[in-house]
Amino acid sequence: MNGPLIVQSDKTLLLEVDHELAGAARRAIAPFAELERAPEHIHTYRITPLGLWNARAAGHDAEQVVDALVEFSRYPVPHALLVDVAETMARYGRLTLSKHPVHGLVLTSTDRPVLEEILRSKRITPLVGARIDADTVAVHPSERGQIKQTLLKLGWPAEDLAGYVDGEAHAIDLVEDGWALRPYQQQAVEGFWHGGSGVVVLPCGAGKTLVGAGAMAQAKATTLILVTNTVSARQWKHELIKRTSLTEEEIGEYSGTRKEIRPVTIATYQVLTTKRKGVYPHLELFDSRDWGLILYDEVHLLPAPVFKFTADLQARRRLGLTATLVREDGRESDVFSLIGPKRFDAPWKEIEAQGYIAPADCVEVRVNLTESERLAYATAETEEKYRFCATTATKRKVTEALVRKHQGEQTLVIGQYIDQLDELGEHLDAPVIKGETSNAQREKLFDAFREGEISVLVVSKVANFSIDLPEATVAIQVSGTFGSRQEEAQRLGRVLRPKADGHEARFYSVVARDTIDQDFAAHRQRFLAEQGYAYRIMDADELLASD
Amino acid sequence: MPEASTGSTTANPPRSLAEALRSRDDVALAALLHARPDLLNPVPGDVTQLATRAGTRASVVRALDRLDRFALQTAEALAVAPDPCPYPVLESLLTGGEDEAARAALPRALGTLRDQALVWGDEERLRLVRTARELLAPSAQRPSPTGLGPTVAEATAGMSPTRIQEIVAAAGLPATHDPVSAVSALTGLFTDPERMSALLDEAPAEVHQVLERLVWGPPYGEVTPNPTPPVRWLRDRGLLLPATARTVVLPREVALHLRGGLAHRRTAPLAPEVGVHREHRPQLVDANAAGQALAALGTVEELVKSWEHAGPLVLRAGGLAVRDLKRAASTLDTTEASAAFWVELAYAAGLLAGDGEADERYAPTPAFDGWCELPPAERWSVLASAWLPATRTAGLVGEQDAKGRTLSALGPDLDRSAAPEVRHRVLDLLADLPEGGSPDPDALLDRLAWERPVRGASDLRARLAHWTLTEAEVLGVTGRGALSAFGRALLRRLDPAPLLAPLLPEPVDHVLLQADLTAVAPGPLRRPLGDTLAVLADVESKGGATVYRFTPGSVRRALDAGHTAVDLHAFLAEHSRTPVPQPLAYLIDDVARRHGHLRVGAASSYVRCDDDAVLGEILADKRSAGLGLRRLAPTVLAAQAEPGALLEGLRAMGYAPAAESRTGDVLVARADAHRTPARSAPVPVPDGPPVPDATLLGAAVRAIRAGDLAATAVRREPASSGGGEVPAPGELPRTSAAETLATVQAAALTGSAVWIGYVNAEGAASQRVIAPVRVEGGFVTGYDHTADEVRTYALHRITGVAELAEDQV
Repeated sequence: MNGPLIVQSDKTLLLEVDHELAGAARRAIAPFAELERAPEHIHTYRITPLGLWNARAAGHDAEQVVDALVEFSRYPVPHALLVDVAETMARYGRLTLSKHPVHGLVLTSTDRPVLEEILRSKRITPLVGARIDADTVAVHPSERGQIKQTLLKLGWPAEDLAGYVDGEAHAIDLVEDGWALRPYQQQAVEGFWHGGSGVVVLPCGAGKTLVGAGAMAQAKATTLILVTNTVSARQWKHELIKRTSLTEEEIGEYSGTRKEIRPVTIATYQVLTTKRKGVYPHLELFDSRDWGLILYDEVHLLPAPVFKFTADLQARRRLGLTATLVREDGRESDVFSLIGPKRFDAPWKEIEAQGYIAPADCVEVRVNLTESERLAYATAETEEKYRFCATTATKRKVTEALVRKHQGEQTLVIGQYIDQLDELGEHLDAPVIKGETSNAQREKLFDAFREGEISVLVVSKVANFSIDLPEATVAIQVSGTFGSRQEEAQRLGRVLRPKADGHEARFYSVVARDTIDQDFAAHRQRFLAEQGYAYRIMDADELLASD
Repeated sequence: MPEASTGSTTANPPRSLAEALRSRDDVALAALLHARPDLLNPVPGDVTQLATRAGTRASVVRALDRLDRFALQTAEALAVAPDPCPYPVLESLLTGGEDEAARAALPRALGTLRDQALVWGDEERLRLVRTARELLAPSAQRPSPTGLGPTVAEATAGMSPTRIQEIVAAAGLPATHDPVSAVSALTGLFTDPERMSALLDEAPAEVHQVLERLVWGPPYGEVTPNPTPPVRWLRDRGLLLPATARTVVLPREVALHLRGGLAHRRTAPLAPEVGVHREHRPQLVDANAAGQALAALGTVEELVKSWEHAGPLVLRAGGLAVRDLKRAASTLDTTEASAAFWVELAYAAGLLAGDGEADERYAPTPAFDGWCELPPAERWSVLASAWLPATRTAGLVGEQDAKGRTLSALGPDLDRSAAPEVRHRVLDLLADLPEGGSPDPDALLDRLAWERPVRGASDLRARLAHWTLTEAEVLGVTGRGALSAFGRALLRRLDPAPLLAPLLPEPVDHVLLQADLTAVAPGPLRRPLGDTLAVLADVESKGGATVYRFTPGSVRRALDAGHTAVDLHAFLAEHSRTPVPQPLAYLIDDVARRHGHLRVGAASSYVRCDDDAVLGEILADKRSAGLGLRRLAPTVLAAQAEPGALLEGLRAMGYAPAAESRTGDVLVARADAHRTPARSAPVPVPDGPPVPDATLLGAAVRAIRAGDLAATAVRREPASSGGGEVPAPGELPRTSAAETLATVQAAALTGSAVWIGYVNAEGAASQRVIAPVRVEGGFVTGYDHTADEVRTYALHRITGVAELAEDQV
């Protein structure tokens, strides 16, 4: 009765990390509980119906869950919670989706009233076909994802036994010359492969691309890779050529400029969601080959039309990769139901402790606005307020001071507003990369930065994702997309690649005190704070004084 | 033969209940009074009085209601047996000569009945007390649970002698000279198995189908004026006897013959067993129950605390509005039914009550503060000890009473006197199981139903038992359906706290502060610490531990409550096991820096003047004391006085102030023409009532005609003309109570109509013409010619009665 776990009545589990049994408890609860927060002392897990059902799908039963809770709990576990766990888990598997030799995809029930209940639902009716017998109903094969999603919302998740198509075989192997998949990457690949489909969550800089490559080497089939932008597409291509047996000719790029369809095709979300005359002409890419694996990079950015199309791809293996599965639109559950459950998740600090990502010092620099700025801020229109306080001249001065302080280190200045960035670029005498910068120009500048020819780069949000800049050690954020938590995490991710000399990265967030900027910053920092990144607060006045 | 319980085989068998009681020893009498405590109130003067009271209807009903199923079945069998009844006859009624279990259980059941003074007499002459017999014997109005009808003698009571002779002849018996011997001949035939079998063997096959339908009751069947051949066959032979014009009844003797002598289709001699359905480790049960107990404490505290400020209003009829119950449910994150339980529990424990103000609200009682100070285990024992004997039943909340009003939580009419007894009984049954064993709830309900079979439709006891099981679980008296060790102690009236205390988490005096601006208390916090922290931070998650989140709002709340930033830093440093994270320190400082920067106050008016010396002068002047002036800035004074009074005051001091408008202009005082706000013109009010419509007129005429009949009815002289004089038409008749009773009873027998004066519950007198159908229990039920429907009247409200002349109705 002195376990490391405290079971709360709202179904959160508090895990005391310094407890000697913490590791065992973590392994016992990981299959069914979601890690929600991982600050220094107490980690918070949450038991959700989805998590419990995923545990059922992975072969755990309610008894194991209850035992894990009771065994590691410090205090008596409320009985009502255990009953609820058992009841929730018992809902899984009453319905199964399977292949029928005659009728194709069918939904079968072991519990007739449940089938009757769901068939009466208006949302299910359009998805099913003829009733085959009392316990079986035909399902349109194209609605496999849709019906799973809808059943999940109705609280009767279906067990999907219909399997996957293998797709067109294509030889892909990892070329592990002088490197190898890290243990956690290996675990992630295995977790995904056993589950069939799903999402792998790894911190920025922890090598998600390699997890993708590992999955492709497992599948050994034609692969469609969806990424956020063209630069990222090139980086994927580059990395795949380097790490796998694939050659340049086998990898195609499907973007605004090129439309190649090859055994491994890398497409951008942007081109897929381009709409012409009310239709998405490029969505047929999904059908253009018999893909054996579909990879979604930065799955937290998955645009709505791709969601819809992914629903129709349930017979193909799907792997989602992300660092931050937080969506400000709250559609995390759609990601889980369409792409698959979370198959692997590693807390950032754990990977950091293993030395695979650089330790980071996060600093919030609080800037006092001048009197005139405060007055101007107070009178600004509501919708202009954030822009105003995020782009004040005082901020610029502080940013310059920070850049000077870290002279000689590879520094990224990241911001939201183009004119602010242009101005900073001018004052810092540094190139600016923004939306209108051509891809060629971008790559040239990134290369120069990697080589150390340029030490300061000012970038807009185009560099939020998938820009591989291993040598960046300092990031200064001057403004952002309001309170976006994942943007904050992604920006920190730009400096987390382990450094050659192993020194720690610095992440500065310049925030105007007593303004809406500060409120947004507090919200932005939540994800990282919950991952255990303790922000330090620094007064800009001290910085300027020491400057 | 059973053990004779009270002098049953003495030479002189008792001749009355009183005599039987008198011969009992003191222990037996005490047992009787224990079983039927209502007899003690008031204490009877002698045994005769005791016997009389034991025979009253109310007392007998109460005693019968408390019999177990088999004892009741025995009593029911006695009620259909001859009176007095020899033991073997009773035995065969219950066993049919075969049921060994019933045979073995009968002496116990009979003993119970004897103990309760429901049965007396020796083995040869068992007598069921008359009132019980009347209650249990089948009658036209009240079918017996045995499904048996009246005897031949009873059923043929009003039949013409000729008809009886016809039946006797049809049954193949010799004609007799009088009805009495005819009836006994018929009875003799029906009770003789051989002759009966012979008679029935002759019957056509359809006859058996008809009999099958009636044999296990109800014994009445409807017939048309032209009955089907099998019914006619039965009716001709007296196997069916007419009950009313349109119904026939199967005489008891015939039914018994067909049933093989059994009074009940199924006897229940043995109490259903409540066995172990699931077995858990006792430690696990206790741990689970303790977890639930802890949750219960948290829930009650949260509920009552949420009513600390502006609690819900008390409805005018008493109780909590549905909206407030919903709000409580959402506060507690639970269903309304369970919120009702917690509200009622806190109320039963005296932790919340109405505050008695004009706008009465519910609020915590002073006892709540005391309760909060107690250690958790004792807090639980306060709740549990309030729950166990409570008669208020939360399960009823949301249902409707007989008048269609919704029963509200904390409202009236929630008391059910059976609740504590059922609760105890359920827990006793749980306690009988081995530790860690939980029963099958259905078996438990079966057992309860056997112990106290329900006469009538109400299933209240079953519902109470069901509620007891769920409530015991959420309260932590049981865990996983099995009684916990401390629940057991509670049931045995021992203090459960010492058993519960070691299972509950130790209170802690520290928290863990984290950089994501949360604090985790890894167990229940010691009192003042928890309260302070709840002000300083928002509670995010509750249970064994508590998670707090610091926000600017929560820190501001603490500052508003009078804490300073320095206090807060010291408080956190003192109680945190971990260093105070820098962002948290910044948060407190940032909020504190801005806290109180702006000051807000109320003033009624102000004085401003560019010359601050003048304002100084005014302030120094003693005469300005009443104006409540305060200097806000060199050139501004704030005043508590209204602008008008301030102007007057300043003028009296010799100044010449000018009034300012809201925008700062000087107001020119001028009498304005006064206008009301927008108003509409009055609507005309017509003189006299509206013109009635046809429906209303028709109803009024009918009512007048009916009243007329009652008022002008010609009454006959009362038979005993010693009574008062005959009232004039239109006057209420007046007769003595005895006379009233006699007259209505006579009218009920003859089916004739009478004229009554009646005062209703509101005190309004009326006259009605009724045809009484039934007179019992102080009520007369009859067809009311005045109202044109069947109604029931309380006898004591009838002021008088008079018979009607033959031609009146």
